[in-house]
Amino acid sequence: MSQQTLVDAERLRAEVREKYRAVAVEPDARYHFHTGRGLAARLGYDAAIVDALPPVAVESFAGVANPLALRTPAPGERVVDVGSGAGFDSFVAAGHVGPDGRVVGVDMTAEMLAKARATAGVLGLGHVEFREGLAEALPVDDGWADAVISNGVINLCADKWAVFAEIFRVLRPGGVLQFADIANGRPVPPEALRDIDLWTG
Amino acid sequence: MLEEAGFVDVRIGEPVDTFGGAGGEANARAFAVFGHPFLARKPA
Repeated sequence: MSQQTLVDAERLRAEVREKYRAVAVEPDARYHFHTGRGLAARLGYDAAIVDALPPVAVESFAGVANPLALRTPAPGERVVDVGSGAGFDSFVAAGHVGPDGRVVGVDMTAEMLAKARATAGVLGLGHVEFREGLAEALPVDDGWADAVISNGVINLCADKWAVFAEIFRVLRPGGVLQFADIANGRPVPPEALRDIDLWTG
Repeated sequence: MLEEAGFVDVRIGEPVDTFGGAGGEANARAFAVFGHPFLARKPA
């Protein structure tokens, strides 16, 4: 499955990578979206879970809702976090699945991956791993995951059919996709869909 | 779209005002953009 899009996929990917590189290295700068602990509270995350995480695990969080709002991963589950960024949702999921579970975060931005890996080390989370990759080509075996999570990422991908097909591939039969993303209640005109700045900011 | 991609039991959760008070609020308001949690299952 593929999708005709109104923007250049490679250019969009480059713009997204640059935007989130900045969020990784300058989490306190001003962006068009909220970040960090204030955002986690706004989106309804469990305060006790967020408060237990160190600043480095939360400060670059830039999600759009709570992907765990409709279902909590069970102990022992294997979870893939698509577009894991600095790892916030991966760390939250890791707490739910426990040491008998596994969490694999996938991200395309080197600065986010470096930050997530360093934080996993600080937290001593041996069951959490971060891999470099794209949402359209996840570095995960067929049928490996019990659950796939993602937060504010799929709307930034030009070919959403490819992303959903890839998520479908890595889920086991009966596995669940639980993601958070934005949805517009009014139609977006074609000229706005062609404006790559509106995709990323 | 999720069902066309093969998923079943699709659920959409309550909206959250993701961009309220942020720099992107004006664009979000223009198109009534909110964040949502989604849940779907790959058939067994």
